[in-house]
Amino acid sequence: MMSRVEAKKPSSCESEPLTSERVRVTLSVLKGVMTSCYGPAGRLKQLHNGRGGSVRTTSQSAALLTGLPVSHPVLKILVASVQNHVSCFSDCGLFTAILCCNLVENVQRIGLPPTTVIKLNKHLLSLCTSYLTSEACGCRIPVDFSCTQILLCLVRSILTSKPACMLTRKEIDHVSTLILRVFLLTIPENAKDRIILGKSVIIPLKGQRVTDSTVLPGILIEIPEVQLMKILPIKKSDSFKVALFCASLSGDLSDTGEGTLVVSYRVSLENAVLDQLLNLGRQLVSDHVDLVMCQKVIHPSLKQFLRTHGVTAIDRVGVALMEPLSKATGTQPIGSLASISPSSYGSVKDLGTAKFGSKRFFHLIPNEATVCSLLLCSRNDTAWDELKLTSQTALHALQLTIREPCVLLGGGCTETHMAAYIRHKTRSEPESILQDSACTQTELQLISEAFCGALESVAGSLEHDGGEMLTDGTYGHFWSVQADSSSVVNWPDLLSRCGCGLHSCRGELGWSFLRSPCPPFSPVTCLPPHEAAGAANNLTLDCFTAKLSGLQVAVETANLILDLSYVIEDKN
Amino acid sequence: MAAACSLKAALQVAKVLETIMSCCLGPEGRQVLCTKPTGEVLLSRDGGRLLKALHLEHPLARMMVACVSSHLRKTGDGAKTFIIFLCHLLRGLHAITDKEKDSFFSENIQTHGKHWKNCCQWKFISQALLTFQTQVLDYVVDHYLSRHFLSIFSSSTKERTLCRNSLEMLLEAYFCGRVGRNNHKFISQLTCDYFFKGMACESAFEEVFELVDDCFVELKVGVTGLPVSESRIVAGLVLHRDFSVYCPADGDVRIVIVTETLQPLFSTSGSEFILNSEAQFQTSQFWITERTKAIMKHLQSQDVKLLLSSVKQPDLVIYYAGLNGISVVECLSSEEVSLIQKIIGLAPFVLPQASSQHEVSSTALVKFCKPLILRSKRYVHLGLISTCSFVPHCIVLCGPVQGLVEQHSDALHGAFKMLRQLFKDLDLNYMTQASDRNCTSGPLIYKNSGESNQLPEIVNGSIQRPYQGTVVKNKDELAKSQTYLKVYSNLVVPDIELETHTPCSTLEVTPTDETLRCLSPNKAMIIDDHEPCIESNSANSATKNTGIDIYYENLQVTKIAGKGGMLPVRCTSLEMSTSLSYCFSSIPAGCVLPAGGSFEILLHYYLLNYAKNCQQSEEAMVSMIIANALLGIPQSLYKSKKGNYCFPQIYVRSLSALQTNQPIISSQTGLESVAGKYQLLTSVLQCLTKILTLDLVISIKRQPREISDQDSEEEL
Repeated sequence: MMSRVEAKKPSSCESEPLTSERVRVTLSVLKGVMTSCYGPAGRLKQLHNGRGGSVRTTSQSAALLTGLPVSHPVLKILVASVQNHVSCFSDCGLFTAILCCNLVENVQRIGLPPTTVIKLNKHLLSLCTSYLTSEACGCRIPVDFSCTQILLCLVRSILTSKPACMLTRKEIDHVSTLILRVFLLTIPENAKDRIILGKSVIIPLKGQRVTDSTVLPGILIEIPEVQLMKILPIKKSDSFKVALFCASLSGDLSDTGEGTLVVSYRVSLENAVLDQLLNLGRQLVSDHVDLVMCQKVIHPSLKQFLRTHGVTAIDRVGVALMEPLSKATGTQPIGSLASISPSSYGSVKDLGTAKFGSKRFFHLIPNEATVCSLLLCSRNDTAWDELKLTSQTALHALQLTIREPCVLLGGGCTETHMAAYIRHKTRSEPESILQDSACTQTELQLISEAFCGALESVAGSLEHDGGEMLTDGTYGHFWSVQADSSSVVNWPDLLSRCGCGLHSCRGELGWSFLRSPCPPFSPVTCLPPHEAAGAANNLTLDCFTAKLSGLQVAVETANLILDLSYVIEDKN
Repeated sequence: MAAACSLKAALQVAKVLETIMSCCLGPEGRQVLCTKPTGEVLLSRDGGRLLKALHLEHPLARMMVACVSSHLRKTGDGAKTFIIFLCHLLRGLHAITDKEKDSFFSENIQTHGKHWKNCCQWKFISQALLTFQTQVLDYVVDHYLSRHFLSIFSSSTKERTLCRNSLEMLLEAYFCGRVGRNNHKFISQLTCDYFFKGMACESAFEEVFELVDDCFVELKVGVTGLPVSESRIVAGLVLHRDFSVYCPADGDVRIVIVTETLQPLFSTSGSEFILNSEAQFQTSQFWITERTKAIMKHLQSQDVKLLLSSVKQPDLVIYYAGLNGISVVECLSSEEVSLIQKIIGLAPFVLPQASSQHEVSSTALVKFCKPLILRSKRYVHLGLISTCSFVPHCIVLCGPVQGLVEQHSDALHGAFKMLRQLFKDLDLNYMTQASDRNCTSGPLIYKNSGESNQLPEIVNGSIQRPYQGTVVKNKDELAKSQTYLKVYSNLVVPDIELETHTPCSTLEVTPTDETLRCLSPNKAMIIDDHEPCIESNSANSATKNTGIDIYYENLQVTKIAGKGGMLPVRCTSLEMSTSLSYCFSSIPAGCVLPAGGSFEILLHYYLLNYAKNCQQSEEAMVSMIIANALLGIPQSLYKSKKGNYCFPQIYVRSLSALQTNQPIISSQTGLESVAGKYQLLTSVLQCLTKILTLDLVISIKRQPREISDQDSEEEL
């Protein structure tokens, strides 16, 4: 055999990558892209290949980053860490990316040695995390699962922050309730010590109005109209016996071993196998099975046989549906063609057919299983893709909330509040940090200013229309003012509610512009629980777990990037 | 094309590599980002990996990389220090040869001749280096350095038990150089915890290290997208698979391991299955089903709850397993299977041939078996009950990007390698006397002779080679009695006088060598001392006449061979005559020194002392060069420190502490392995010897044919 041995090309080695102009420019471009997408007023991005193919309109990091070609290795690190975060938590990808870019940029501007910066960043991060996880945290709201209000706000905030879904206010309300219902349906009723959540299946229905979307318990299997005609009218009964096959029922002869199989003349294996299949059919009929489903193909003869005996047969279910099906019906996937243990049959409460739009479905309604289907409608393909991704994000956020039953204030308020807290903390009690990291007071001040600035810039990225951004000197929340009203002198007159919607405007809060030097203050940390519940109607909230992890990942990634002294690029 | 391979070129290459390496050295080191051709990004501070990633083209650079990787294969640590030390050595040599060139080669010799001359000269230096490595280094390490050694074992008990505190310090120092600044404390703590959790008893740690080192890939789980601080240790074994069937079971779970499909097949490889009728086919299929059913039933009757399979099992097996309440994990890698077998000492399950009445002998119990979900990926988590000294634990390593996770797992793996090395004794070439009072007094007498011996220092390097033989002998003499040495030092004075005298002809050299062999050791020594002087004189004359020079060289080669053969004889005769017990000295297992350049500074100090007292100029020079080059490592370690912790301060402090016999106070809390450092030193010296003995690099168009195969055929 000829093997081609080629000499490897030498790699290129670049020292101090962050000081190079190329990196700085590309980093700021990436930051620009991310920042402009952020928040409810974010601008949309269209991803398309010049040679054709589908066009994706999006403002979500998950879709954006997979389509975005990144050339420089430093950016690859950043993008990869955001993508990994998103695949873990679904939410807060843009937050992570923007914060990371901001941190790198701000620290670069200061020009302190990376050693000091990294150490201090880590200290500031641990200040943040310990504050956010502490009971005294002023930007965290506990979730009470007996009341859906806060959960609904969380879902609504997530939907609102994805403008590419193209939803109106009414539609957002509709879809949020649906998503919350799906989530509640997947929670088992009699949970013991460990909750095992059920399954939800999202079914696309494109070309319909969003308000036509609906949630159905059980599973919908799409069936072509021709096939549906063949399905017998379903007789009335209060329970249907179900058999679910994972083995192929097409009569193919799989896996005969490594040796050779010699078949004598006139011996027809097809007939032999078909006999076997019909035997199986007879057993199914005698076991009074009402519905036979198969992951793979069912032989037409067997199908015909089953139909003549009043058994509904559905094949080509696909591997993705197998787990929800087995969960919903309580069957065990059958891998044998010879004898079936009666224990592997399951049952459903009801069977039916349904028509949504132009599609026809076979509907399995389970007895009391935690499986449901979400029919998502949208006017066009790209909006549907975005809506599906958003719904998955929202569902994931809800699931994460079970693990950590609290939410963070959204709308930029958490960021500004945290910045105020850190500023105050590093001014009032810097001793512990200084002792541990062996740096000067000035260095700490500089870095904490950079860190807080980065946080505030994330909040500031929510504003895209040139409006003024303010923080108050009491709660440290984020407020923004419409751009066109800049001629008015008295700011507080224009402010109604803060970013998260928890506080309404009062005169004595003490305003200052965002990104302008303001005296450090200790933000008021106590959240009046009654007020929180009362105002909960339209709060903007963020998923706690996702945001906390996003914060950590952003700072860790920024530290990683700042720590780079060389980049070795393999050119092979 | 051929390129002259000069010291200068090597130095240039080493300098470039040094700048890259020194930026990731030590606790203040920074990260390097590497990209693979596939586009993956990798973070690294691992010198070996970086050198490989560079894909260097320069032949000398490639040679250095090859030397580094062969060193890494041995020890798994020290690539960065290797390059820095090598660079400083080359610098030292360069400086010296520059000086000498000025004094000696000012005469108008043609450039080409000069080049060849240089090569000869470096060859001699390289010989001297080899001698140094085998003789002086081991002597110094054994005699002086060893009194500073600390041990990783706790001193309270007689048995070798690991001291947790020391291990922590050792690991911290190691990770300081390997992982990012913010994570090294956390990772070293994690590693330390892992060791102490994984050890069944304190004394069987070696076995544990070995197993963990060998099966590290199976014992770690990498998770991306989570902060590093989420990394943790989980008890039991995590398999990188999901259950094919999962049947929850409480309490202890009985398991079997299978390596073949449980369902009988129509035919095995090499056989033929002849189907004569449809009925036959149906009955065979029926039999297969029944048989599979029976096997699974049998397993169930033996209370087996979990089936671990190294192959994919057919649907039928999975189905019946599920019916019988047996969970199945398929497609395990052979490494995973062998690891499980090692831990629980379980042989694979063999299908019973005819009836399944007898008991399944090869089963084992596990404490639990459940799915483990890490970042929405499912794994199988087994609570194996260990029968060996390793209590199974897995490390879950988290990080925001794959590159970082990989860096941490590489560093962890390297740590196990390093620890494995640490617990081995390292033999030195040096022979120790059980009662060697003489040796300690030896250097004192040497001092006198060393002071008077000034001339050879400026002697051309080409003379160094003949000295090598005498260096060997002088060392043995050192171990001899004091009286001998006194005689010896007296003899030195006439030697120098001799040197200034008449040039001797080369012919005279050979007879002395021959007489040396027949003479008694006592007399041989005296002749020995005369010999180098004679030669140095002849060499001086040779520089004036290049024609004789070549002839002279040939002579030397044979002579050294003769001496090499003599050396062991002398040693044994010495042993018998003095009737003292000799044994090979060694660096005992678990020897450590404080990290942060203590080894280098100590060795520097003792080598300088040695060089001062050394009579032989080459030996002294080589020792000096090495001693000074050693300082380069702490220098780059402390280069960013200011004030009291800057390098000159630390150097002066430790030197004054050494002179007054006070313990050295290190600014760093870590520890590092002495054996590793020692091996590094010898590897670098070997690499340097290789570089110096090269004179020409010839680039060829084709790959050099691998002749070895053809040769062996011809031999057959």
